[in-house]
Amino acid sequence: MNAPLPKRIWLWFTKTRVGRSIFRVGLPESNLERSQAMVSSFLLHVQPAKVNRHALRASYSLGLGLISLYLFFILIGTGVLLMFYYVPSTAQAYDVMKDLQFVVSAGMVVRNMHRWAAHLMVLFVMLHMCRVFYTGAYKAPREFNWVLGVGLFLLTLGLSFTGYLLPWDQLAFWAITVGTNIAGYAPFVGPKLKFLLLGGNIVGQDALTRFYALHVIVLPMIAGLMVSIHLWRVRKDGGLSRPDEQLGDEIATIPLNQLPTNKSYGLMELARGTTPQVGHNPEDEVFSWPHLIFREILLFLLVTAVVLFLAVFWNAPLEEFANPIHPPNPAKAPWYFLGLQELVSYSAFWGGVVVPGLLVTVLVMLPYIDRNRVGVGRWFARERVVANTIFSVCVVVAIVLTIIGTSFRGPNWGWVEPWQNPPTITEGH
Amino acid sequence: MNDGSLRKFYGWFTFLGLLVGVLVVVGYYRDEHRPWKDYQRKFIQEEIRRASTPEQKMLAQRTPVEIRQVLLPELNRVDRCTTCHLAVEDPSYGGFAQPLAYNPLHDRHPFDKFGCTICHRGQGRATTTEDAHGHVAHWDEPMLPQKYIQAACGQCHEASDNPAAPELARGNQLFETVGCRGCHKLGGVGGNLGPELDKVGARRSPDWLKQHFVEPSAVTPNSGMPPQKFAEPDLDAIVLFMLSQTGTNLPGFYASMKVIPSASEGRRLFQLKGCIGCHTVAGQGGKIGPVLDDVGLRRKPEWMMAHFRDPQSVTPGSVMPRFGFTEAESRALTEFLVHLRDQQVALNIPALMAPADRGREIFRKYGCAGCHGPEGKGGIPNPNAKTAQQVPGLSFVADSYTKPELKKMISNGRREIDALDPKRPAPPLYMPAWGSTIKDAELDDLVAYLFSLKPKGEELGF
Repeated sequence: MNAPLPKRIWLWFTKTRVGRSIFRVGLPESNLERSQAMVSSFLLHVQPAKVNRHALRASYSLGLGLISLYLFFILIGTGVLLMFYYVPSTAQAYDVMKDLQFVVSAGMVVRNMHRWAAHLMVLFVMLHMCRVFYTGAYKAPREFNWVLGVGLFLLTLGLSFTGYLLPWDQLAFWAITVGTNIAGYAPFVGPKLKFLLLGGNIVGQDALTRFYALHVIVLPMIAGLMVSIHLWRVRKDGGLSRPDEQLGDEIATIPLNQLPTNKSYGLMELARGTTPQVGHNPEDEVFSWPHLIFREILLFLLVTAVVLFLAVFWNAPLEEFANPIHPPNPAKAPWYFLGLQELVSYSAFWGGVVVPGLLVTVLVMLPYIDRNRVGVGRWFARERVVANTIFSVCVVVAIVLTIIGTSFRGPNWGWVEPWQNPPTITEGH
Repeated sequence: MNDGSLRKFYGWFTFLGLLVGVLVVVGYYRDEHRPWKDYQRKFIQEEIRRASTPEQKMLAQRTPVEIRQVLLPELNRVDRCTTCHLAVEDPSYGGFAQPLAYNPLHDRHPFDKFGCTICHRGQGRATTTEDAHGHVAHWDEPMLPQKYIQAACGQCHEASDNPAAPELARGNQLFETVGCRGCHKLGGVGGNLGPELDKVGARRSPDWLKQHFVEPSAVTPNSGMPPQKFAEPDLDAIVLFMLSQTGTNLPGFYASMKVIPSASEGRRLFQLKGCIGCHTVAGQGGKIGPVLDDVGLRRKPEWMMAHFRDPQSVTPGSVMPRFGFTEAESRALTEFLVHLRDQQVALNIPALMAPADRGREIFRKYGCAGCHGPEGKGGIPNPNAKTAQQVPGLSFVADSYTKPELKKMISNGRREIDALDPKRPAPPLYMPAWGSTIKDAELDDLVAYLFSLKPKGEELGF
């Protein structure tokens, strides 16, 4: 046998008594074993034994959902490490940041990884959403999974936003002050919501305690649960969307009492709706091991490498200790809210309430508004030119507003051009 | 399963696996390699070289390379400066180059009680040179240049009264005499034309302050402050005094060091506590207690200390009350009484001075000279003011005002100053309303002083 050495060691180990007891199947050699490997492993059985070739096409999914998931994993890992040091106290949090930088082994790298992975996750969740829209993948039977996806998008923003406060520096303090002020513009509930979020009228110890609890327990638990449901639904809804998909809506169900009693039945025959097998042509299917699993591991390595690369060479920002008396001019929200802040600068009510409210509502209801089933599973399908155009306009507007808010706004939210020197800020006296 | 596609996977596995591995190694190296470790190794080498006995050598060799820090919970500081500056307390490192130099000036400020950054500023938690010295973005407290180091003394100690910080005392004296308080408040006393200066030392850099004195409008456009013509050493002294005003509220032990028990502090206390109510000094004062001019000849300092603690303990039947002086206050009063016999300490007790003399003190106290010139002689520019583009001098104020009119003028101020050319910007300086600050007896004395400014034997009229 001329297999590479690691593979030979692996093969030997999986054949030992201990190895067999752990891996049950060992390194699969036959198609039967490939199926068994998937089904008999706890970690792998979440995924089907065979997948459609279309789902593996990198040019179709771009791996965006998976990348978001991996970033979530990295965030949990680094987040737990940071929790070993972090103290959610206005007096100590900032000092902990300094200690992470100066005395904790690899402390800065871990914090950097957490920071960059968080920004990347916001970005990739957005990109994933765009991919799903442009391929029409939110259409039946995947409507509800889109809704879950919108929920996960908002949760991602919530996680990033709550984490933003924790270093307790000027950047954190004023970004959260601005961000929660935007929340306060909502009619009737706004001020109450802001009060509830901050545990007071201004950002202080109570706000830090709340944001900490939300950031490390509440939101990750909800996000974890929703990610699980999201993934489960991907499988139950027939895997990744593809052009030649058949609808399984019309499958007849046999009432339980009419089933012959001399036969045992699989569960899928009793349940209503689409089974994972509907529309599956054996020629289009390949075994998940190795075709899916190997790709997943490779992608994980790639994501880890990128996050590590960013973390090793670029430090997460840390400004001065939070000072409620000295607002920076301008005080800016985190980048993903700067489009909103730019809108708010025109009109607090329209920019802070109507537009984002409408946007979220339309996003949630999208699969129920756009109900026809044309153009599913293809990028920029010609039949969907109207929907794609509307969506693209919204995306471009959001990007332009965000860029303006990020780079073109100076003191007093005045217009500055980033390639010019910023005007010197003078203090009145 | 064709082997070709699997081989492609293995290629990618190898590449990405190696990439992650390399990044981990690079990250580890960058995290592990810190210059302070080199400094420590250098220090340990030096210690080994110096060791004369095998035991000493073994001890030196066993010195661990580790972060060293002074924890100062009371000051809410952690100073890790000694991680690099390992020999600051070891005189045998006298002529060494930084970071291993010995710093001889710390006898009274031991590291375990004070750390480093409370005086030198910088970033105590940091362990790299730039960060620790504070010359980085987003750190408000860069190290105080050695030239201005006496500014640090002013955080804990009275500026006017510190023999170890003559530059600070000079800066303080300048501040009180050139009339800064006419426009600026410090410690709640002063005018309101300019900003308060209580925290100016924490907000401004030495360079900014220096520039601001020389040409205020260069760093603060539209500043109404007249340029200050200080000689270079004076300029440094006043900048130093400004740097000392950080508004830091120090806790417990550190705050108790405010007063350095000295004769002049004793004089201040002697006035404040009203000692002349009972005692006579220089022929003035009460008759209930003994005359104190020669008390330094009659009594030992230890006797005086005990007397301040509890008069009856050394003079049974004494009617002098127990004032509850602190140890430092008692020492200051003792110093004062000891020095009184040498007549080196002028008394200047306000109650015993002529009104016009007291008024001069008030003129000085509130910084009137800042705008009206020393002794009210004028000459301070106020661009576009009808009065020769200057703040008017006060020498002949007795001719233009009656005493009640003058009092009214001081109390209410004059916000609108007549412009020479209405088209140009209004004159920046104006007379603030002093009514809430200078009143009653102080106002009477001030007016008496101003009326005394008129040169004798001159009549303006015909």
